[in-house]
Amino acid sequence: MAVGVVVLGLAVLQKVLPAQGTAPASQAPASDVFTPEHRTVSDSIREFFGMRPKPVQPIAYTHKVHLGNGMQCTDCHVGVDTGPDARIPSVNFCMTCHQVIATDKPEIQKLAAYRARGEDIPWQRVYGFEPSAHVKFNHAPHIRAGVDCSACHGDMKQQTVAERKVDHTMGFCISCHRQKNASVDCITCHF
Amino acid sequence: MERRDFLKISAVAGATAALEGCGNPDHQLIRFVPEEDMLPGVATWKPSICTLCPAGCGLLVRVMQGEAEVVRNGQLGLLKMGLAKKLEGNPAHPVNQGKLCPRGQAGLQVTYHPDRVKTPLARNGPRGSGQFREVSWDDAIKQLASQLSDLQGAKPDGTLALVTSPLRGQRKAIVNAFAASFKNAALVEFAFFDDGVIRAANAASFGHAMPPTVDLGQSNYVISFGADFLGTWNSPVAQSLAFGHMRKGRPGQRGKFVHFEPRISQTAASADEWIPVQPGAEGALALAIAHVIIAEKLRPAAAAGHAGSLIESWSQGLPDYAPEKVSAQVGVKPEKIARIAREAAAHDPAVAVIAGAATAHTNGLFSALAVNALNALLGSVGKPGGIVFAPGSPAAKDAGASLQTLISRISSGSSSVKSLLLYNANPLFAAPAAWGVRAALDKVPFIASFGSFIDDTSAQADLILPDHSPLESWLDDVPISGSAKTVVSVAPPAMNPLHDTRAMADVLLDAAHQVGGDLAKALPWKTYDEAIQAEFTALYKSQASRSAKDADEFWTNAKDQGGWWSAEESKAASIGVSGSGAAPKNAAPQFDGGTDQYPFHFLPFASQLLYDGSLAHLPWLQETPDPLSTAMWGSWVEINPATAAKLMIKQGDLVQVTSPHGSLEAPALITPGIAPDVIAMPVGQGHENFTRYATGRGANPISILSPALVEGTGSLAWASTRVKVQAVGRGKLILFGGSLSEASPELKHR
Repeated sequence: MAVGVVVLGLAVLQKVLPAQGTAPASQAPASDVFTPEHRTVSDSIREFFGMRPKPVQPIAYTHKVHLGNGMQCTDCHVGVDTGPDARIPSVNFCMTCHQVIATDKPEIQKLAAYRARGEDIPWQRVYGFEPSAHVKFNHAPHIRAGVDCSACHGDMKQQTVAERKVDHTMGFCISCHRQKNASVDCITCHF
Repeated sequence: MERRDFLKISAVAGATAALEGCGNPDHQLIRFVPEEDMLPGVATWKPSICTLCPAGCGLLVRVMQGEAEVVRNGQLGLLKMGLAKKLEGNPAHPVNQGKLCPRGQAGLQVTYHPDRVKTPLARNGPRGSGQFREVSWDDAIKQLASQLSDLQGAKPDGTLALVTSPLRGQRKAIVNAFAASFKNAALVEFAFFDDGVIRAANAASFGHAMPPTVDLGQSNYVISFGADFLGTWNSPVAQSLAFGHMRKGRPGQRGKFVHFEPRISQTAASADEWIPVQPGAEGALALAIAHVIIAEKLRPAAAAGHAGSLIESWSQGLPDYAPEKVSAQVGVKPEKIARIAREAAAHDPAVAVIAGAATAHTNGLFSALAVNALNALLGSVGKPGGIVFAPGSPAAKDAGASLQTLISRISSGSSSVKSLLLYNANPLFAAPAAWGVRAALDKVPFIASFGSFIDDTSAQADLILPDHSPLESWLDDVPISGSAKTVVSVAPPAMNPLHDTRAMADVLLDAAHQVGGDLAKALPWKTYDEAIQAEFTALYKSQASRSAKDADEFWTNAKDQGGWWSAEESKAASIGVSGSGAAPKNAAPQFDGGTDQYPFHFLPFASQLLYDGSLAHLPWLQETPDPLSTAMWGSWVEINPATAAKLMIKQGDLVQVTSPHGSLEAPALITPGIAPDVIAMPVGQGHENFTRYATGRGANPISILSPALVEGTGSLAWASTRVKVQAVGRGKLILFGGSLSEASPELKHR
């Protein structure tokens, strides 16, 4: 019963807090001096619970189609086995294929328009940790250890744009680390 | 929970749920397509060269992908690019061997400085008003080329003047060839702390017009006459490394270091004995030491060879310089002089160095020649543990016109200078007001500056053609001291330019090709790096034994490691036995200002952080405490405690320092580390115009200096001014190591 109330409470909280729709207003700095404090109480609460609004991507990219055509994750997310960042490729990379493939589709035309303007696609962040968590995540050791992309990112073959299907709470990370006998020392991730 | 409340919350929830889908843009700026392909989060180290002081140390730059806010095609946006994040010394570079001084570390701030000139500017108001409008590079180079065309041809309209910092390598070659194509052009290499006097002395004594490379690491006795070799003089990092080796790198041997200077500088603080000496008497002191050595038959007078013959009465054993005779003039007891002379002669190898204020009196050249003779007498010239001259350096003829000659030429109206180009020089700040630089600049119709920043002088420019920062530019250098190996440094840019800037040498080449004719013929290269590569090809071909199989491989290897250097120390450059140049007549210093009205010697000194003021715009250097006083973020005037008591000046009081040529105000810093009749002040602050961090901060000691020159040279005698001092109020002295309440009593009551 108590658990149910708590769960309900959390869900309610998510709905009750003022939406972060016009993000800049609440994120605009109060002064020129850098400060890590939050602008409003609801900002702090949101950060504490890791609540972020659903990202809206500028181009309706679909993982389903690309993976369905036989591509691998690492074809585009090139840096994942060598460094901390999996990396989203730049518009130049997409255009190497899409100069000729599916050029009649409106989304592809949007892509070409970005490139023609000299702009890179302003993808919005899907995964990540709040700055106050002080987590530095490094992809490379995980890939070297044989962890599959879907373990943390869900089955991408079912997703169009990337969505937060898996909740990266500390518990999620620790349980897998324990299972695989990886380090659970604080400084492994928080430094 | 009450039913009513539950329903209320659900209603609110329903309303807000609709607003949730708006998204969360990380940043409002657009993103430009990246120009480079880099793995994020993975750093690479690239070689570079430090250009912030004459030493020419080798750098390693840590470059990592990041996002920079830049303007492209008039639009502000984010660009993912390789960004320089940290500078370290290059371990392979023979000069600094992996170490780096605080100035070098702060060089990173030049690239990311918020007040950098980001695009060419043309004057859009009266000169000096600070009103500029942005222009395109095409327009800017066209304007420059048209000004230069007027000065070319058979009947030119006037002539060209170039004022730059002392240059080396291909930039020097390009600038020299450029200037040579204009009839009667004046090419001035100007820096406040230049080593013109040392060069002249070394040319006369040893046939090498360059500063010495001091082999401190193998020395057993070091005598410094005012040379701040651990902080600011010559090649401080190389010298610090060598000094460390002298003290701790040889088990059982520690060597001895004696430092003569009226003020306890950073180097003096590392000495075994710091002995104050009367300003301008360093030469007499050196000769007194030589007198004792000769008189007590510790070395034969003839051992000094040609260097000794330049000193009057050397062969007679310097009878006028017996310690008892010069003790009062020098300010050191005769027994001490004799003891040091005996110690130096007994601890072979012994070496003497002179620099700083000692060479900036009117008799600076005399003092330098005296120390050269002392070195030759001690047997330290061209030997391990003594002084050598770096091999492979350009031959002596790089003195060029002096700034003072150019300014008086322009002021007198006898010159026809129609265009003035400025590069890395700030004469309005770094020359005494008495030279009349400001009035002279007003007489020049067209002034262009290649600076990356608007400073005191470039604020007077009509056209600003912003240079890349050093990390964004091709660089080459030939260090003239710090290593006995032959060293030629080269480095490709460590990162792409952030802003719409261009390398100075490339702009000169572009303008030259637009002007055409003889000018274009004199500069056959299309770009600066083409010139550097040509030089490396020539270097490869000239080598007897080669490390690479062809010129291309040689070039690639050089670019990868930051330059080329010989594997072994080159054979010590031979010491000339018939150097040229007459010894100056006056052994005694002349001071500007009578002793009654102006009781104190005024000693401007190079602070390790601000150096000559060219680095005052870097906040890391402003906030680094001065090593001895811990003062920062401003100017200060060092006064001896006894003097301060007599004048009723307390720590932090605002004092007015007046010379025959002007006055300034700065807070007083009471320190026992200065002679009672000397007042010292760091150079570097007091800019009228030099970015948000240095503008209007502190006071500029150069402004009140006497215009007198060092006799026999064109260098300013910046230590020859006398001043008077009085308290005029409460100042603001910021000390890192003191509590603020000591500096500003008004804070005591918080």
